[in-house]
Amino acid sequence: MKTAYDVVVIGAGPAGSIAARTAAQAGLSALLMEKRQEIGSPVRCAEAVGRDTAASFIALDARWIAAEIDTFSVTNSRGDCVILPPGERTLVLERKLFDRELAHTAAKAGADVVVKTRAVSMLRNADGKWHLALSHHGDDTKVEARIVIGADGTEGQSARWAGLKTVPELKNYYSAAQYLLAGVDVNPRICQYHLGWSIAPAGYCWVFPKGDGQANVGIAIAVDPKGTRSALDYLDDFVERCFPGRAVLAQVVGGIPISNVLPRMVSDGYMAVGDAAHQSDPLTAGGITNGMHGGLFAAQTAVNAIRAGDTSARFLSAYEKAWDAEFGGLYRRLLRIREVLFAVPEHKLDDMIAHAAQLDTTHLSVLDIVKLVVKVHPQLLLAMLPYFVSDTLSSH
Amino acid sequence: MQSGTTDTKPKTPLTALGQVVVNYDRCSYCGACVAVCPPDSITLHDATLIIDQNTCTRCRRCLPACPTGALTLELKP
Repeated sequence: MKTAYDVVVIGAGPAGSIAARTAAQAGLSALLMEKRQEIGSPVRCAEAVGRDTAASFIALDARWIAAEIDTFSVTNSRGDCVILPPGERTLVLERKLFDRELAHTAAKAGADVVVKTRAVSMLRNADGKWHLALSHHGDDTKVEARIVIGADGTEGQSARWAGLKTVPELKNYYSAAQYLLAGVDVNPRICQYHLGWSIAPAGYCWVFPKGDGQANVGIAIAVDPKGTRSALDYLDDFVERCFPGRAVLAQVVGGIPISNVLPRMVSDGYMAVGDAAHQSDPLTAGGITNGMHGGLFAAQTAVNAIRAGDTSARFLSAYEKAWDAEFGGLYRRLLRIREVLFAVPEHKLDDMIAHAAQLDTTHLSVLDIVKLVVKVHPQLLLAMLPYFVSDTLSSH
Repeated sequence: MQSGTTDTKPKTPLTALGQVVVNYDRCSYCGACVAVCPPDSITLHDATLIIDQNTCTRCRRCLPACPTGALTLELKP
């Protein structure tokens, strides 16, 4: 580890590794630091990712692909199940190995990579450089950075230190819990969503196969200030109902921002990426490749900023513009869909899914979905229409 | 730019309102509580979660955010 870098990236998850790799590939000096002793561990994720999108960042490797998924299904609280038409192929990952391999690509590109290294504080001096105080294997040390990229996750503090407003509204924050179950008899090529407010209030359950009879079985619920039961309580009920007595190989919990991205993701010399910037999808809370895009855009902006000798917030706002061009419209629609969907009464939601379950969904058209929604809950159409118009008709 | 703390000034002691207590047998050290804490009173290092009772405003946002129900607001005896 050197004493000064062009770019210091805090956090070696997918977003951080892509940021460090991109900066290093462009010839910048880059430090990628992970507070934990092992990159990729502990996993805090349902591990599903779009196959083609993942492949655009890293060569696919069977070592970190647990399962290949053809499509998704949606099940209501009464057990009616709709199998959706196949979209982009999905992978269920072994995040421990995936994250480590991504950090490896950053190292191969020339980034310095360290673990057990935590940012304790950071100050931006008059010289325009960040002075970071680190705990490196328990020893106090210092490093300078022209740009800091905060990829330190939901609980990361670097964005606060850089003066950004990060605290989400509770309704825009998922409390999530997941078990890795064994002995689960499910279709290994279908990822399941389970919707029903009695099962998962303002949220959903999922069953993502991991091969060999294993599956990530989890729940995410928007935080209810008056709620008395935890995500884990609801998950235990769901598992008891759907998979009683199965062996639990791992428990994973965490919080996920679903607010849409921070109103500002940059300040002078600083950019937040991934969960630290609330780049997880505002509907499903999926965040792996979204965060990787955030890391890519931020590092590309860092390269331009350092070449131009201008690391001001004004210059770095190009990163926010790049994000907004790619994800802005989609995220605003997903947020709106969640707000409207979660306001649908459970019996109507059940009816909608039950009706859809009777259709031949292999040839389901947008018109069929529109007719269905009009029949059961017309209000939902108002929110969903712009989504279908722009996304289904485009090549997205 | 000052780091590590927020602008929240310590006010009158809030101990009368009780304090947020961590059940360390339930806590998984995920940090879900850290993100929703307005005054940044919760510190997470590996398997250590510390709540600064001097800056905590007893707003209770962290309680329902915890996925394992490890946080409770306990009134002092």
